[in-house]
Amino acid sequence: MNCQQFQEILPYIIESGGNDEEEDHLQTCPACAELVQDLKYIATQAKLLLPMHDPSPRVWTGIEESLYRQGLIQEGRTSLMGQITIFPTQSKSWTPMGWLLAAAALTVFSVLLVNYRPQLPPAQTSAQNSIAPPAAQETADQQLIAEVSQRTPAVRRAYEDSLREVNAYIADAEQAVASNPQDAGAREYLLDAYQQKEMLYEMATVQTLP
Amino acid sequence: MKNLALTAGLTMVGILGAAAPLALATDTRSESRLDIAPGGTVNLVNNAGVVNVHAGAGRQVILISVTRSPKIEVDQSTTPDRQRVKINTHVLSEQLPTDDEARVDYDVTVPVGVAVTITTATAPITVDGLRGDVVLASETGQIVVRNISKAHVHIRGVAAPITLSGIANGHVEITSSGGAVELRNVAGPLVSVGTTSGNIVYQGDCSGGGTYTLATHSGAIDVTLPETASVDLSARSISGFVENDFPLQQKTHTSFVPKPGSSFAGTSLSGSSSVELQSFSGRIRVKKQ
Repeated sequence: MNCQQFQEILPYIIESGGNDEEEDHLQTCPACAELVQDLKYIATQAKLLLPMHDPSPRVWTGIEESLYRQGLIQEGRTSLMGQITIFPTQSKSWTPMGWLLAAAALTVFSVLLVNYRPQLPPAQTSAQNSIAPPAAQETADQQLIAEVSQRTPAVRRAYEDSLREVNAYIADAEQAVASNPQDAGAREYLLDAYQQKEMLYEMATVQTLP
Repeated sequence: MKNLALTAGLTMVGILGAAAPLALATDTRSESRLDIAPGGTVNLVNNAGVVNVHAGAGRQVILISVTRSPKIEVDQSTTPDRQRVKINTHVLSEQLPTDDEARVDYDVTVPVGVAVTITTATAPITVDGLRGDVVLASETGQIVVRNISKAHVHIRGVAAPITLSGIANGHVEITSSGGAVELRNVAGPLVSVGTTSGNIVYQGDCSGGGTYTLATHSGAIDVTLPETASVDLSARSISGFVENDFPLQQKTHTSFVPKPGSSFAGTSLSGSSSVELQSFSGRIRVKKQ
């Protein structure tokens, strides 16, 4: 069993304790062991949140969409709801606590995977180096770099630097909006950040030498 | 003897061959006059070199261009209604010009009231004394705009430093990614500057009862105001810090809760102009002139 296989059934392992094969992997893989430890800690803390209710289907849809966006699951695979219901013996034992833990585990798992940097020093305070742009955005950025690749090195470097900085701006602004949705100032930053990026794309596609 | 003559001949051919590109690389200056209707627009596209634009008398656009290679052509045309003069810099040869060969220097004189739209890659742009709208874009070339009144000034830059001075009653909108923006004595109903990492400097009185917005992600904002400035000012940084040495009366109602070191808001005199300073992670400093 490898890490990917292990992490795909992580909610089940947290809930049930896992079988021998999963236990063996846990003994030999410090990364997965650390992940499980973190999730168990969250599970312990989550007990303090009682009373609880089953999460609505929207929660699962949101998690699923988030995982699709981050490229952690692919089109055509069984939905998260589907994955859970294929374990009929487990489905009956899904208590509200189980639902919450699974939701928490999946959310934390996706966040940890996205931000997992085993070779890097502790996370930076700025989003500039710690948050990668989504795959689609990254592809578009690469197209932009390709667009300006024939221009002078200074111009090319200017675009590369600007793209990196504006992506950090977007990430910071998104974070600010997420942490305080009522903050009109944070929303203004986000709008401004996207306008900056739009400007870069427009500039890159202008033909200065027809 | 025959060999000597042959050697001498080949040497001459070699010298001439080496000199030919140098001769071709000499500057070629041309001047033309193009009719334009009142309120018309001059549209100029250049890659490298220099673009200088200034106001002049008369009803014609006077275009002086200096090219450095026959691989480059300056193409100029006027629409039948004379509403638009188009000046484009073309590569003629299939062989790409070198950076130096691609340079074209422009000096453009435009009648009062004519608008200009200029796009460059690395060429610096200087616009002085116009009375029409100005739309400028440059990737890395410095942009300088001076002495303009009652006009829209829209500027975009990637890493281009941008300097504006002596703009009266203007409608100014600047978007710059990494280039620093400096505004001296710039006033009008709308002054809006947005950068990603470029620093922003404003020195002036923010007069005209206008709306002034200076925003950046990681750049610093420095604002210097005279004591006579009548402003309703707010400054806010999410993860940076703010400093204020300008005397302001604290406001009782603000759109955010002022937090020492991160934000402040206040008015000076009647607070006729609205001034908003926003830097996500950069420093904001407001001081008295």
